[in-house]
Amino acid sequence: MSLLFRHFRRSAGLLAPALVAALLCVAPRVSAQVDQAVYDQGEKLFKANCGSCHKPDKDMTGPAVKGARERWEGKGDLHLWIKDSQAYIKSGNAHAKQLFEEHNKIVMPPQAVSTEEIDAILYYADNFAPAGAKKPTEPTAAVPAEEPSSNWEWLVITGLLLLVVLLSLGGVRTQLANAVREKQGLPAEPVLGTWGRIKAWAVRNKGWASVAVLLIVVWMLVLLWNFLFNIGVYGGDKVAHYKPSQPIAFDHSLHAGKDNLAINCQYCHSGAEKSRHAGIPSANVCMNCHQAVSEGTKTGTEEIAKIYAATGWDPTAMKYTGEQKPIVWNKVHNLPDHVYFNHSQHVAVGKIECQECHGPVDTKMDQVEQWSPLTMAWCLDCHNTREVKVAGSENGYYKEIHRRLATTPMGQKELRKYLEDEKITVRELGGFECAKCHY
Amino acid sequence: MLSMKSKITLAPFAAFGAVALLAGCVGDADSPGLEYMPDMYRSPAIEAYVDYGQDPYYFGDSLAGAQRATPSARLPVEGTIVFAGREQDAALNFPDPYPNTPEGYEASGLNLHSPIPMTQATVDEGKVIYEKFCQHCHGAKGKGDGQVVAKGGYPPPPAYDGPQLKDLPEGKVFHSITYGRNVAMGAHASQLNTKERWLVTQYVKFLQHGGQIPGQGTAAQDSTATATDSTATQAK
Repeated sequence: MSLLFRHFRRSAGLLAPALVAALLCVAPRVSAQVDQAVYDQGEKLFKANCGSCHKPDKDMTGPAVKGARERWEGKGDLHLWIKDSQAYIKSGNAHAKQLFEEHNKIVMPPQAVSTEEIDAILYYADNFAPAGAKKPTEPTAAVPAEEPSSNWEWLVITGLLLLVVLLSLGGVRTQLANAVREKQGLPAEPVLGTWGRIKAWAVRNKGWASVAVLLIVVWMLVLLWNFLFNIGVYGGDKVAHYKPSQPIAFDHSLHAGKDNLAINCQYCHSGAEKSRHAGIPSANVCMNCHQAVSEGTKTGTEEIAKIYAATGWDPTAMKYTGEQKPIVWNKVHNLPDHVYFNHSQHVAVGKIECQECHGPVDTKMDQVEQWSPLTMAWCLDCHNTREVKVAGSENGYYKEIHRRLATTPMGQKELRKYLEDEKITVRELGGFECAKCHY
Repeated sequence: MLSMKSKITLAPFAAFGAVALLAGCVGDADSPGLEYMPDMYRSPAIEAYVDYGQDPYYFGDSLAGAQRATPSARLPVEGTIVFAGREQDAALNFPDPYPNTPEGYEASGLNLHSPIPMTQATVDEGKVIYEKFCQHCHGAKGKGDGQVVAKGGYPPPPAYDGPQLKDLPEGKVFHSITYGRNVAMGAHASQLNTKERWLVTQYVKFLQHGGQIPGQGTAAQDSTATATDSTATQAK
């Protein structure tokens, strides 16, 4: 049957998807008559025994179980094949041998299931309804944080609004005054315009005018100072975080979120403990799972297809074509070239959690943004206060420092100075020296 | 009268317009924005993951176009051996002697044994790596019930202490971590070096035996196993 099906597909490739679609449309109606007890038993058995290599409705390591009974009809004993595939091949069944070779000669281990249990599994697969598939929960806090806008912007806007109100009030006042003068038979007030009236006021009140001018100048200088200070700063509380678009809409909160898949940060960024760079994972790391997951919960097949394009994976044939097209990610955290930073020093030695500098990537970021300012003041703030646990450290460097501080007279003098605030900080071990980071 | 009114109303609108224009200067979300002295920020020395094609400052527009697709995030060339620093660590990064074939898998199971004797210390080290690289699928106790399976509906891996994997030899465990197994488990050699893979293998063995260090064939390993058996049960 499977051979027949193949020929059929080749000759009328367009018809097959249409047929599948038609079948899918019918599926819910069929499932209405499903014997729920057998279905549930089959599902349980399938998940325990078959699920790591088979999907009910799609090819994975092994073929889709759905329709297996039909495909085997008249070609051999499906039950024997499932119970011990290798023995059945040896017994000389041609279809078994052919299937084994078609599926990359991967051995299906002998299964300790009874004939009735196999029937339940086949019943489950044949009536499989994907609607019941469990989906990961939506990230709890995926709502993007409010655009951080600094206070002075609001001040300016409020000020402008007030100005509008004041000016229009002034206009009304002039009109009323003129109406009164007209009634009294006097000529209308000379029209001065806004600027003219401000000038007239300033001439009358020189003291207040100079105070106002001074305040405006100081305010503008402060604005300018703040503006200049935040040039080149792309994170932190004072500026909008740098949040570039990425070639693939990878959602960290879905993959790493504690309530979702909870994959450890270092699974993908495995360089963080060993190297200067935490590393953007090469696409083969994505494929560790996405060989088996071709459809996402949010974007369907669209984004995952981009990984397939990058790695050259053909999801229908379940094979690599060898044609790779690397992904060009947009770098989010850019340190200037004149600064040296090493992840392993901070992660492996300092034992600092990723989130401390990168923010709530795992809970809030569907698109990564630069959380911390990454300014020198920010680095030094931490170096100034962070305690280094020198005593009892496994680290050879700290062991030696500890030995010298504890056993030499000079070291003991230094140590007393260090311990005035009851802890040894990064600063005291050289974390403020220029050449630690600039060389 | 009319002209004065229009003057009054126009002034704030002009101010609003100016603010809007200024805001427009930093409208491109993909551009970090202004920076001082870009040539100090971006030197000709190659930095990892920087797409030099983005940087017309340095290379000029023509070269920027050519460099645009500078690939990032790829595997090293096949056969690359990591520089280990110390001579005794060099062998850790040699390529695996058994190929990624069913025959290689069987041969690994028969012939490949851990170069690191199994002790409580190595099991603990393995546990740390296991929690980062395996637990999300295989579960904290290796029952195949990690969060990716439980919440994400991923094909469940067999339990380590279940009928399929209970007696899986360490060579096969190692081979599976190195090259992946079937479709559902990918290759982890790009994330873990040989030593780390052996440490994980030891923790997997520990879970296969219900949280105990199993007695092993050679005498030397036997002594360490018995010495640490009690601590193993205590730790559990």
